[in-house]
Amino acid sequence: MTKELMNTVNGIVLQVLYRGFRVLYERDSRVRAEVDGWEDGRMLKLVCGPGGPVLVLQKKEGEGIVKLQRVQHADITMRFKTVKGAFQVLTGQKGVADAYASHMFFLEGDIYKTMSFVRCVDYIEAYLFPKIMSERILKEVPDKQLSSLQVYALALLGK
Amino acid sequence: MTSYFEFANPTKLCSGKGAVDNLAYELEILGVKHPMILSDRVLEKIGTLSIVLDVLDEVRTGRVFTDIPRDSSIEVVNRIAGEYRQFGCDGLVALGGGSVLDTAKGVRLLISQEADDLLELMGCECLPRGRYVPFLAIPTTAGTGSEATAVAVIKNPALHVKMEYISQHIMPDTAILDPRMTMTLPPRITASTGMDTLCHAIEAYSCMQKNPVSDAYAAAAIRLVRDNLVKAVRFGSSVSARMSLANASYLAGAAFSNSMVGVVHAIGHALGGVCQVPHGDAMNILLPAGMIFNKKACRETYSELLLYLAGPEVYQSVPKADRANRSIHEVIRLRKKLHDMTGLPSTLKEAGVDPAKFPEVAKAALNDGSTIANPREVTCGAVMKILEMCYGE
Repeated sequence: MTKELMNTVNGIVLQVLYRGFRVLYERDSRVRAEVDGWEDGRMLKLVCGPGGPVLVLQKKEGEGIVKLQRVQHADITMRFKTVKGAFQVLTGQKGVADAYASHMFFLEGDIYKTMSFVRCVDYIEAYLFPKIMSERILKEVPDKQLSSLQVYALALLGK
Repeated sequence: MTSYFEFANPTKLCSGKGAVDNLAYELEILGVKHPMILSDRVLEKIGTLSIVLDVLDEVRTGRVFTDIPRDSSIEVVNRIAGEYRQFGCDGLVALGGGSVLDTAKGVRLLISQEADDLLELMGCECLPRGRYVPFLAIPTTAGTGSEATAVAVIKNPALHVKMEYISQHIMPDTAILDPRMTMTLPPRITASTGMDTLCHAIEAYSCMQKNPVSDAYAAAAIRLVRDNLVKAVRFGSSVSARMSLANASYLAGAAFSNSMVGVVHAIGHALGGVCQVPHGDAMNILLPAGMIFNKKACRETYSELLLYLAGPEVYQSVPKADRANRSIHEVIRLRKKLHDMTGLPSTLKEAGVDPAKFPEVAKAALNDGSTIANPREVTCGAVMKILEMCYGE
């Protein structure tokens, strides 16, 4: 697969991830509790390799998670070393913990604050990926508080 | 084990009786003319610092700083970096336990990155090397392994947490292990720090980032602890036992620096931050419970560990299916022996921890970076269960 194609796929998955995150903030008590524990204004940036797509999220009072345009500096930046590494994680071939253990990304910012975001990603992956994939990439698959179909439907409707 | 791994251990090791005597030479070849010596008040008082200063006769000492508390903080690091610049120092010598060594790593980070506040440099494997700051480490405990790690744990008093800084650029250029530096450690601290070493090695051998090189370091460390910890506690003046434990600490440090640690350290850091439990004591209390929790995912690795924990005769005599449990039992047996010999606490109750603080400890543990490489998912419920198991009622 070419780098351009991987970038395209990564960009699409980032949008799904963002929308899924917003849905789960509204519908999953555990995701809501995690995000509500963040200070308002906390900014997270996910960079999918050199020249790859970027997702910037911010915690906003009353709105939960919102997407921002590119920013120079975020409180926490997870930066994949390669486009391929990001592709493997975003397409469910590797989990976040496995990617960390394989040195596929590095982190700028407070490790302590990042762990809550990692847990949110794990919850989102449990909903967005089929069980056979989530069982492979997550150490333990968390219970779902709504169906994956509902999450996808609400995410596509932009709720 | 992952399909890709990295292993970094650029530190030159000078290990053996009289190793500190080479300090002046080691500084010279690193081009250091005005080192800043970091240590603490206790080492100054008992004369350990003077052993080091005496060998620096021919090297001008830029500044000696001994006002480093047991749990160093971001403020202390920022202050020392200011003095380093003010006194025109050109290298660091850290003489002490984990707190002094980690403080020196923080100072190196600040100077090399030309920053003023450690909070600006938080992250994991994200920093370029920056300005070169020569750095020598002389550990005075055999436990943290900080002289061989790319990790610095520094307290953030505002958040009541111990923050982790991970970068290969904070590893010392040279580590000097000299039995004179640990000879005066009381039996209880020898026991506590030795269990810290054992915990580093066992977690390094079983965490997600383990690899064949870190396994070799971890296994060698466990063998040395097995053969020397009780001996060093009983006969504190045994040079060979002290030296072996110093080597074990270095090996375990190099192992976990490359394979990470897991749930035991996550909870241990939290207990240190919230309840001020000394790190080695926390490791001693938590290790068996952490192993029991992880056994579901680590049966095979714990089975292998029996060879290093108990020796080949025991390993051969125990059926394969029972080896993982026996490994945990060997750790509990060692802990009991050390408890009987030194009074080292083996429960959180003995360590004076208030169970009302468990939820706060659990919250801090969940956000500790060590959880990510733990072989099992670390949940709030799991941490609470481990804490309750360790409380000892």
